[in-house]
Amino acid sequence: MELSLHHRTEGDHTILDVGGEVDVYTAPKLRERLVELVGEGHYNLVVDMTKVEFLDSTGLGVLVGGLKRVRAHEGSLALVCNQERILKIFRITGLTKVFPIYDTLDEALQGQS
Amino acid sequence: MSGVELHVPPDVVYVGLARLVVTTAARKSGMDDGRIEDLKIAVSEATTNAILAHQRVDRDRPVVLMFGPREDQFEVVIQDTGPGFEPPLDQDPTDRDWAEEGGLGVTVIRGLTDGVDFIREGGTRVHMRFSVGLGSNGHGPR
Repeated sequence: MELSLHHRTEGDHTILDVGGEVDVYTAPKLRERLVELVGEGHYNLVVDMTKVEFLDSTGLGVLVGGLKRVRAHEGSLALVCNQERILKIFRITGLTKVFPIYDTLDEALQGQS
Repeated sequence: MSGVELHVPPDVVYVGLARLVVTTAARKSGMDDGRIEDLKIAVSEATTNAILAHQRVDRDRPVVLMFGPREDQFEVVIQDTGPGFEPPLDQDPTDRDWAEEGGLGVTVIRGLTDGVDFIREGGTRVHMRFSVGLGSNGHGPR
């Protein structure tokens, strides 16, 4: 399954919906989108990964890159993820200590406001 | 290991295919769904590393995956002929330098497998073992 990316703005936040598979083949598209969004001034990002079917460390690396970019502008990058199979690699790599991760989009928007 | 050998061209477009083939074989061997997810990610990590290793030295030879059941385990060996690397030691995530992307693959593989060896021999051979969930289809002991 290919990667799907859609973004929208809600209040001060820009929500990026990610769906499908994020691996070494598709991750460059996610990286490009994050770079574009930050370049356009979207510094408070919520990446909704509810529809992600697969994510490996290449995808993790891209998210870390996105976090660095928004932090350079004193922004934030929160994740929405409630799938155990994906949360597991965040825990293994220690990235649960780096990203705020929420079960739902509403919680993420409240938590980041 | 009685199993299958898959030769993958060193192009990242094939990582998804490698995941699909190996996980299909593991499912037929009786691996349960939770363990399949671990296997899928570990295969993706090791195949990605192998393909990128070939690309770094302009090598057009395929990356070779060998996989199949062995006793109560499912084993996957991924062999490249790249320049080889020294697998990093596990780091405390709070000490890690997050300024760099990448380098997380080996940590993920170690966390998801029941055993892994990184062997430098004509490139890198990653030998991964998964010991849970085999046998429900009658192949091998539970």
